Amino acid sequence: MESNPPLPAPNDLAATWAFLENGIDQIMNRLEEGLSYKRYMDLYTGIYNYCTSSRMNPGFASEPLAGPGSNLNNNRGANLMGSDLYQNLQRYLERHLFTIRENSTQYMDENLLRYYTRHWEKYTTASSYVHHVFRYLNRHWVKREIDEGRKTVYDVYTLTLVSWREHMFKHVERHVMTAVLKLIERQRNGETVETGLVKSVVESFVALGLDDADSSKSTLDVYKDHFERPFVEASEVYYKKESEKFVSENSVTDYMKKAETRLSEEENRVKMYLHTSTNKPLITTCEAVLVKNHTDIMWDEFQNLLNMDKLDDLHRMYSLLSRIPEGLDPLRTRFEEHVRKAGLSAIEKIADQGGETMEPKTYVDALLEVHRKYNDMVTTAFRGEAGFVASLDKACREFVNRNNVCKSSTSKSPELLARFCDSLLRKSAKNPEEGDLEDVLNNIMTVFKYVEDKDVFQKFYSKMLAKRLVNGTSASEDAESSMISKLKEACGFEYTSKLQRMFTDMGLSKDLNDQFKDRFSTDAGDQQVDFSVLVLGTASWPLQPSTTNFIIPEEVEKTFHKFKMFYQNKHSGRKLNWLFHLSKGELKTNYLKASKTTYTFQVSTYQMGILLQYNKDTTYTFEELSQSTDLNAEVLSGQLGILVKAKVLLLSNGAVGEPGSRYDLHMDFKSKKVRIQLNVPVKSEQKVEVEETHKTVEEDRKLLMQAAIVRIMKTRKTMKHVALVNEVISQLSNRFKPKIPDIKKCIDVLLEKEYLERVEGQKDMFSYVA
Amino acid sequence: MSTIEQKKVKLTSSEGTEFQVERSVAERSVLLKNMLEDVGENDMAIPLPNVTGPILTKVIDYCTHHRNDPIQNHDDDLKKTSEDIDDWDAEFCKVDQGTLFELILAANYLDIKPLLDLTCKTVANMIKNKSPEEIRATFNITNDFTPEEEEQVRKENEWCEER
Repeated sequence: MESNPPLPAPNDLAATWAFLENGIDQIMNRLEEGLSYKRYMDLYTGIYNYCTSSRMNPGFASEPLAGPGSNLNNNRGANLMGSDLYQNLQRYLERHLFTIRENSTQYMDENLLRYYTRHWEKYTTASSYVHHVFRYLNRHWVKREIDEGRKTVYDVYTLTLVSWREHMFKHVERHVMTAVLKLIERQRNGETVETGLVKSVVESFVALGLDDADSSKSTLDVYKDHFERPFVEASEVYYKKESEKFVSENSVTDYMKKAETRLSEEENRVKMYLHTSTNKPLITTCEAVLVKNHTDIMWDEFQNLLNMDKLDDLHRMYSLLSRIPEGLDPLRTRFEEHVRKAGLSAIEKIADQGGETMEPKTYVDALLEVHRKYNDMVTTAFRGEAGFVASLDKACREFVNRNNVCKSSTSKSPELLARFCDSLLRKSAKNPEEGDLEDVLNNIMTVFKYVEDKDVFQKFYSKMLAKRLVNGTSASEDAESSMISKLKEACGFEYTSKLQRMFTDMGLSKDLNDQFKDRFSTDAGDQQVDFSVLVLGTASWPLQPSTTNFIIPEEVEKTFHKFKMFYQNKHSGRKLNWLFHLSKGELKTNYLKASKTTYTFQVSTYQMGILLQYNKDTTYTFEELSQSTDLNAEVLSGQLGILVKAKVLLLSNGAVGEPGSRYDLHMDFKSKKVRIQLNVPVKSEQKVEVEETHKTVEEDRKLLMQAAIVRIMKTRKTMKHVALVNEVISQLSNRFKPKIPDIKKCIDVLLEKEYLERVEGQKDMFSYVA
Repeated sequence: MSTIEQKKVKLTSSEGTEFQVERSVAERSVLLKNMLEDVGENDMAIPLPNVTGPILTKVIDYCTHHRNDPIQNHDDDLKKTSEDIDDWDAEFCKVDQGTLFELILAANYLDIKPLLDLTCKTVANMIKNKSPEEIRATFNITNDFTPEEEEQVRKENEWCEER
């Protein structure tokens, strides 16, 4: 049990210290036996009494700490007592630690760690007691010394740490670290070890990092120098050896698994029992040894993994190489090349099957399939990393615009894509469900993003849209507007403004027809013709005027004129051009002898013009028909060909279209269907149309380039040739990729038209002529 | 935290009188706070050999009143003035000089910083705006300077005189 000696006389240093040493010894060595309130209070009071003794005994002056700094005290007020107690405590700690150190020499390895950490914990716990017991000294004498700038005086707890560092740590640190490193190596080799020991050592080293300039602050210097540095070095040696051996005996994919495991183990090691600041140096070192030293074999393996679609291994390689600078660069390049080849070979396969008449769906599906596959790879294996996304985009742009199907020109892809859109948006038995359609349209936009000649797409799209609207074959208004808003999102308002204008015209025409019907429905006596008109703005609609004259059949002429009047009344000054070649009508038969059935012929306006002639007679020659309809020979023979083929008319002399050929009305016409579609496009017309579209694209491009050049020069005033060309390319890049010779031609045109002039004396310099 | 349920801490004054206070009251003293944390609670009384019963009574009054004040950690309050004494504290300090000085000693011993500040400020206010003669009268000090010595001291401290 603890002894309770009486409090010593306040001014008796020897007695006071003897009393205190007894207590401190109890705290340092036998704290587990407990400490009573009385003992604690006595120790505190002993120190208090000693430190305040000068007040009670004015004759007794303490010596300040010896040394050159002592004159600091001279001109201050009362001297504070305490330096003797402080020095005695310091000497006590030195003796105490010497004993601990001496005893440590009998231990090695784990036992040494156990000894060190046990004593460290015991010592620091006891030290915090002592620190509290000495609080009066801390508050007054120590505070005064520190305030006066003495660097070698610390508060009592710091003193205990400094003492441990001087008398314990400095002597045993090497042995302790050797033991720590051995222990960690054993753990790396797969043994279970007591990691708590390392954790305690780390805590001890961190606590000993006292800032010499300001003892109230701590640094990590001790830990960094004595723990982290040797530890990181040992790790480097260990993993260098291990990885080299492993690589020589195993496959690259196995090595990557190993490296990944090791890296995550080391990250955990820091979390488990090291200081968090070690994470960076340790992991950087491990990355260098485990990844950077082996980049070549990984880079080489990449192509194999791509060829075999090994997503897991690809992801592993990605995450390993992403750890080191420039580790991913070769992968991105190879990935881009791989995707490009995959795209090209996919197109090559279908190009062989399709030949000239490539089915748009097959083509777009093939593009999408390649994109989908590698887009998935980018999101899963490469975590959507921006560099790989860029590689994918670059590769896709390449194979979408330049592949076996569009050998000659980059405008084939947008054409096929627009045709595919048309096939989806046109009424057809194969139309997808609404939900699916939205997906397909989104897929189209994926391809569209890569198309360089977006203006070509626009041309074809608007042509086909015009047809869908004029012929009333659009499958769904929602789908149409959804597609247009997608295009608008991708290319801006201007890109789709004409398309939208077309829908507006359709709406206006509907109103117009209603008004017209209301106005004239009351007219009695007239032979009523069911009649409707679309009034379409020339600027927005890609419609060609008719190539032939045409005489309106008298049966509809009256209505035709009535509408003309009605419209001119409403909008005086507007000119109506009639596009009969795009118009259609329905005719009912009542001339058939044998059949009781009334057939309905769905016909083009030209066919109507021809067939209505047979109300007057049942047989006409080519020349007669030509005269009565005023159709030119080419159109007339095309239309007659269809009627003859459908056996509505019978060719009784010569061949279709030949002079002198004769056409009789087939009075015994029979068909399984009641409605017969005769308004089918003439084959030769289609091809011409495609060529024309491409040609108008070229024309439009010239205008776009010229406009861009003028726009640029207007703001810049003067510009070098090369800079101008580059600016034009960048301004038009979201529409198409201008060719440099074409830009040059446009510049020449503008020079000729005197929008621009060459700057004299300066080569290749242009200026704007206002 | 419920104050009713709190365990009592026993304190013994220098003459052996026992006081029971709640732990939160006792912990106003950093000395007692540290000790209760280090040693842990038990039923033993804590002897305070340097504090008398009447003074301990006053100290307990003070600590009870201020039991829920936030603990101030930084003793380097930049604005230390002797004016910011609230009514309760001023009333608390209306005691005879002897008691006031005993309170200063007790606050210093028990390590109760706010009480030490309060009592010292009170004494400072007693000195403020007084001539040496008045101060001597206030604290009952006999002038043991010779006139020459007094002149010397005055000269040395001229710098702090108000002009």
